[in-house]
Amino acid sequence: MSETPRQAPPLPPPLSPVLLAGFALRPVPPALLGPFLKLALSAVSRRHPDVMARLETLGDAEFLIDPVDLPFSFLLRPGAPSPVLEPVGGDGEGIGRPTAIIRAPLLALIDLLEGRLDGDALFFSRDLTIEGDTEAVLTLRNALDSGEIDLIEDLLSPLGPLDRPARWALTAFGAVFTRAARDLETLRDAFVAPVARRSGAQAAEIRELDERLTALHRRVRQVRQVHGARAPGGGVAKAHAGKG
Amino acid sequence: MTAQSSPSAKLTLGPILFNWPAETWRDFYFRIADEAPVDIVYLGEVVCSKRAPFFEPYLPEVAERLHGAGKEVVWSTLALIVSEREMDAVRALAAAPDILVEANDISCVALLAGRPHVVGPFVNVYNEATMTCLVERGAARVVLSNELSARALAALAKAAGAELEVQVFGRLPLAISVRCYHARAHNLHKDGCQYVCADDPDGMALETLDGEAFLAVNGTQTMSYTCCNLVLELDRLLKMGIGCFRLWPHSTDMVAVTRIFRGVLDGRDDAAAAWARLARLANVAPFANGFYHGQEGAKLVGAQP
Amino acid sequence: MSEAPLELVCPAGTPAALRAAVEAGADAVYVGFRDETNARNYPGLNFSRPELGQGVGYAHELGRKVYVAVNTFPAAGNPGPWRRAVDDAAGLGADAIIIADIGLLDYARRRHPEARRHLSVQASASNAEAIRFYHEAFGVKRVVLPRVLTVGEIAELNAKIPVETEVFAFGGMCVMAEGRCALSSYATGRSPNLDGVCSPASHVRYERRGAKLISRLGDFTVNVFRDDEARSYPTLCKGRFVAGGRASYLFEEPTSLNAIAMLPDLMAAGVRALKIEGRQRGRAYVAQVVGAFRRAIDAAARGEPAPASDLGAVTEGHRDTEGAYAGSWR
Repeated sequence: MSETPRQAPPLPPPLSPVLLAGFALRPVPPALLGPFLKLALSAVSRRHPDVMARLETLGDAEFLIDPVDLPFSFLLRPGAPSPVLEPVGGDGEGIGRPTAIIRAPLLALIDLLEGRLDGDALFFSRDLTIEGDTEAVLTLRNALDSGEIDLIEDLLSPLGPLDRPARWALTAFGAVFTRAARDLETLRDAFVAPVARRSGAQAAEIRELDERLTALHRRVRQVRQVHGARAPGGGVAKAHAGKG
Repeated sequence: MTAQSSPSAKLTLGPILFNWPAETWRDFYFRIADEAPVDIVYLGEVVCSKRAPFFEPYLPEVAERLHGAGKEVVWSTLALIVSEREMDAVRALAAAPDILVEANDISCVALLAGRPHVVGPFVNVYNEATMTCLVERGAARVVLSNELSARALAALAKAAGAELEVQVFGRLPLAISVRCYHARAHNLHKDGCQYVCADDPDGMALETLDGEAFLAVNGTQTMSYTCCNLVLELDRLLKMGIGCFRLWPHSTDMVAVTRIFRGVLDGRDDAAAAWARLARLANVAPFANGFYHGQEGAKLVGAQP
Repeated sequence: MSEAPLELVCPAGTPAALRAAVEAGADAVYVGFRDETNARNYPGLNFSRPELGQGVGYAHELGRKVYVAVNTFPAAGNPGPWRRAVDDAAGLGADAIIIADIGLLDYARRRHPEARRHLSVQASASNAEAIRFYHEAFGVKRVVLPRVLTVGEIAELNAKIPVETEVFAFGGMCVMAEGRCALSSYATGRSPNLDGVCSPASHVRYERRGAKLISRLGDFTVNVFRDDEARSYPTLCKGRFVAGGRASYLFEEPTSLNAIAMLPDLMAAGVRALKIEGRQRGRAYVAQVVGAFRRAIDAAARGEPAPASDLGAVTEGHRDTEGAYAGSWR
């Protein structure tokens, strides 16, 4: 159970989990993320046709989504007949002029995607900045907010890609991600923990990271309970038990 | 370009929206009575009830002078009625016999039900059904919202069961509030406003932080910075069946402005020449006509002479 | 004075937000169709007909209500979309239709006499005569009061009128009389009253200028933010302008209405329902604000003070105001 009390020394402030994730992911070429992103997007679009319907008006609009604490960005074309989500290096220079650019810390972006954070509040507090076509950004935000997206649940659902482990395992990222998704309840963990663990270096740092993740899980669960949102399934508790 | 001659078209002078000194107010109307070729003059305070006591002593003689000059006098009421005192003033007007009242709030429309009245531009009339409802209750004339496009105006004119009036000159009233922005700009409360709105006879200009001229503040009212001018559009307005054309009073030579519009409405003067004369004369602010053309109200659309 | 507890009326721009509002304790949720017939006609927002049907079903199962806002003004020559919106809201079982336009009220009264009609805040009915007019002419059962009255004036009003009143308690706030403001229309050509959008995103641009962020609406700069300043919506009435050589938030500072501390006063004033603004906000906002007000109303009903709530993060400019209610606007 995640409540296993383990006193971790606090992380020095600049070493936020996401910063560490970025650090840890740096050896992973963004291209490796491609298959995973593709699956994630197809899971979301299959599970949330209502969201896709709201995105229709976007046509071929292109968003550069820049998690400011990661060393790479994402390019999202959500309209189109077949939506596209792919990693791009750095902060996306050289991909032409996107319809809009959205910049925020990765955790904030995921919270936004999963409806835990209010986009306007994020904007008021300067954590989120947008450039380019404001209407397109608003369309995207409103559509995503309508979907009750839960990345892990979407990925693990009967319609999700992890329901077909064989196919999933074929991808370079798949094996890692399958374990991550089983172990962890949110995408942030999928990014952070397995890659960091696999790198095998800096064991102490990784342990700190794990502690921090556990705290994060606790916080996420608390937030979810307070908000009365669907509690993540029993698999979560097991996962943490196994992880300790 | 000469407008289709329409001597039956009525030129109207809307109520003074600004806080002018009472004597200036009186003398303005005396001159209008004596010299301006307008058919209808609207009198009264529309923006802030605190201003009315200053010019009210002059109302009877002004009304008499205008009446004596053959003008139709209409009594305009407040646009935003919140207090009982304000409501009482409107009740008194609505109950007065033998006068024509312009209702600028739906409460006043209700009080005037069953007798002929004017529905003013601060009552939202955007479509035929609303117009019909109001005409059935006694509206003899409806002054239409200034944000309506030519297409909307034409649709309304087609269905009209009453005279329709359109705003064709002056800064456009855009919003009304219980808050006084003139007072706020001077760090004063509305209740102790010191009548600072009197400093700006045509409203207080507002610029953006980048220096773009944008709006004008008139006490609790917010207006366009630009000056609406539809003299080039009069011809089309006449053809679609609009019968009354409202000029909003400004500190510029309004007698000259009324003569220019009258000349075009009567088919005596060329609209392009009239535009040029207005541009020389009316130096309040640059002209705009965007709302009429279905665009930003701040825009000036089409070729100008 | 009202004996029944205050009804909490909450916004939903999407079916997900509707569920969030109901889960957080909304008594009623108000929504709009995905077009210009309602005053939050923003891209990607609002309900299709099937979504409304499902939303009504879901809410009714849990004993909650759904109100449908058809609260813009039908365009001359094109009443169809607004009439269909009224027809469909009635047909899909909405508990009330929120209308501002006189002609549309008349249509609803004739065509759907059984459908409950609320007067939208967009009608700006600020006095007893106006409210009586809407009640007598169109059978309006409830009036959403414009945000221009003090609590004292609301109490006086309630003593004089035969209908329920609903007041805004939280969220974005017009400082102009609602439904009588063409500022956004003047700058963008799209009208809040006709198109249902104030400061439409299609006309909003953010520009970086060195360390500053510029927000623009159409051809006009609405604000220039230093990097350490909380940001606000690019609505004109919350913009920073220069008058007489001095730059200020002349109309209103970036702020949100928050009347949570005034609930007992509003109850004593005879108000029937509290409205949360924000159909354009995310479901996280809905859950947080509705939850806080649910707890506050329940506490007030027991005669207890409102429990502490921290809604600072979801307020514009990270600050709130009691608006006109406390009388500070006069």
